Amino acid sequence: MPTAESKAAKRGWQIACLSLLAIFLPALVTSLGYSLIDALGPGPGFFPFWLSLIGAVLSAAMLAQATVAKADEEIAVSPPDRSVMLQAIGMLVALIAAAALFEPLGYRLTMLPFIAAMLVILGARSWLAIALTALAGSFGIFHVFYHWLKVPLPIGEFGL
Amino acid sequence: MDTLQHLMTGVTAALSLQNLTFALIGCVLGTLIGVLPGLGPAAGTAILIPLTFKLDPTGALIMLSAIYYGAMYGGTITSVLINVPGEAASVVTCIDGYQMAKQGRGGTALGIAAIGSFVGGIFATIALVVVAPPLAQVALKFGPPEFFALMLVGLCLITGLGGRSLLAGLAMAVLGLLIAMIGIDPVRGAPRFTFGIPSLYDGLGFIPVVMGLFGVAEILLAIQQPHRQVIKTNLASLLPSREEWRRSVGAIGRGTGIGFFLGLIPGVGAIIPTFVAYVFEKRLSKNPERFGQGAIEGVAAPESANNAYANAAMIPLLTLGIPSSPTIAVLMGAFIINGLTPGPFLFQERPDLVWAVIASFFLGNILLLVLNLPLVGLWARILHLPYSYVCTGTLTFCVIGAYSLQQNVFDIYVMIACGVIGYGMRRIDMPIAPLVLGLILGPFLEKSLRTSLEMSAGDFSIFFTRPLCLVLLVLAAVVLVASALRLPPRELREASSN
Repeated sequence: MPTAESKAAKRGWQIACLSLLAIFLPALVTSLGYSLIDALGPGPGFFPFWLSLIGAVLSAAMLAQATVAKADEEIAVSPPDRSVMLQAIGMLVALIAAAALFEPLGYRLTMLPFIAAMLVILGARSWLAIALTALAGSFGIFHVFYHWLKVPLPIGEFGL
Repeated sequence: MDTLQHLMTGVTAALSLQNLTFALIGCVLGTLIGVLPGLGPAAGTAILIPLTFKLDPTGALIMLSAIYYGAMYGGTITSVLINVPGEAASVVTCIDGYQMAKQGRGGTALGIAAIGSFVGGIFATIALVVVAPPLAQVALKFGPPEFFALMLVGLCLITGLGGRSLLAGLAMAVLGLLIAMIGIDPVRGAPRFTFGIPSLYDGLGFIPVVMGLFGVAEILLAIQQPHRQVIKTNLASLLPSREEWRRSVGAIGRGTGIGFFLGLIPGVGAIIPTFVAYVFEKRLSKNPERFGQGAIEGVAAPESANNAYANAAMIPLLTLGIPSSPTIAVLMGAFIINGLTPGPFLFQERPDLVWAVIASFFLGNILLLVLNLPLVGLWARILHLPYSYVCTGTLTFCVIGAYSLQQNVFDIYVMIACGVIGYGMRRIDMPIAPLVLGLILGPFLEKSLRTSLEMSAGDFSIFFTRPLCLVLLVLAAVVLVASALRLPPRELREASSN
């Protein structure tokens, strides 16, 4: 008897197959706009065309297989609980915000609140440890990478 | 004679203070990555690539290789002490290693694992020295059709052994190849799938994609898992007793042999050799019921196989340019970032670099033995680090790594998107390895195919009229058919999944 978790896994596979189709089919149409064969041989569209076509066929076959087959009880997907879900969403939002502010504010001013926020989101509670880690991870790591390892990290509009 | 001379030159270069320091730093960082559960060698090696940006290529590759095999060593510590593999290949070690720790023999388990890993690593490196030059010489005779067929065999092996569903493996490999097509066409210079976005003209960066698929995805998965307790065990006595030595010697030898030979086959992945070595020992044992109850052979054999595999897997990369696993693909990416293409020509064009890197494997294995035996208590203490700090540190390095390669914020967004995709794929057990391999091999595969067809004026028979090419294509087909007929045992397929 398929469990709710194995049914969720089946749905997950169906969504994955549809997502793949949503990539391969537009890629197939787009690749038709490139030259498939030219005077020198295979053109820029040759490989993308065949790959998109094969990918679309495989995805369709997978979708059919996932839909027709019974839910596999060995693959079960249990939904994460609410607190874990909030942590994951918080982490992704923090990452997107860091990416958006990375160049305007610079590495140090972006990563200082990012690291502090990440630690809080993931459950750290000692404010002193959070502050010290955020300082080390922003100003400390910047110093190591920028000055010692010569890795170019953004300075930002405030010169930090 | 030539080989010996090259090796001696390599040893001299690897023994320079600078390269020795890089190897030591790589070993320490690698062991740290291995020790921290949830951060595998692929993600770990990828996120530490920025550390090597300003190093000369030899130093950079010595350090990254050391990170790779250091991570393979370090994974054992968590397997034994908290019953969670630090990297996937150490999963088998959990079975008997954790039982040994519960019986107060944790130190002995870690000791035999370090010794077995050392023997496996050194043996595989000696074999690499012997096998690689003649293999590279043979590969020099390959033309574009043979290279195309060879890469196809590699992809088919990875796909065929890559999890529960052959269709899914194939679709992922094709997706990886298609993503690799984004950017300027290398032959004609025409933009493909760029949609007028300048950041896409250079294609999707391999490193941000790998960091997302492995690094960010692993953290998303890790925050769902409850914190595991480190077991209290005796770490003072690391050396096995005489009886334990007697049991372990053969297991180390057999594990080394299994790991080495399976390391030569692209697509086998790091888990299968450890799994095969464990099963082999259990079948060979007069008392198989001891396995699972703390049998020392159950630690010695898979750990030897693990490291023999890790070093042997460098042979297809260095001689043929074929990565055997996602981690080796990351190393291949590091070669490419440094302007080098792994493969037979590298032995001709940069023998100084190749032999210095190979020589560093010997030194790295010695360094790791020194780091792992006396300092095992220190590594065990790192396991007490709160996970919130480990995850935050990893994410910080992911952001730096994704950005600094091209100084482009777009790559951070790519990493985040790939993290979400990778998380979803792991949740439903969709294979990731074929996608990564397709992504790194895509440009080479396309170039070989198109050059071959230009050689034959568009005639596909070029692939079937050259004997070696034909043999390789038949082999690729056999691998796929065997996989479709589900000939590899289910346990092996599942073990190799991701």
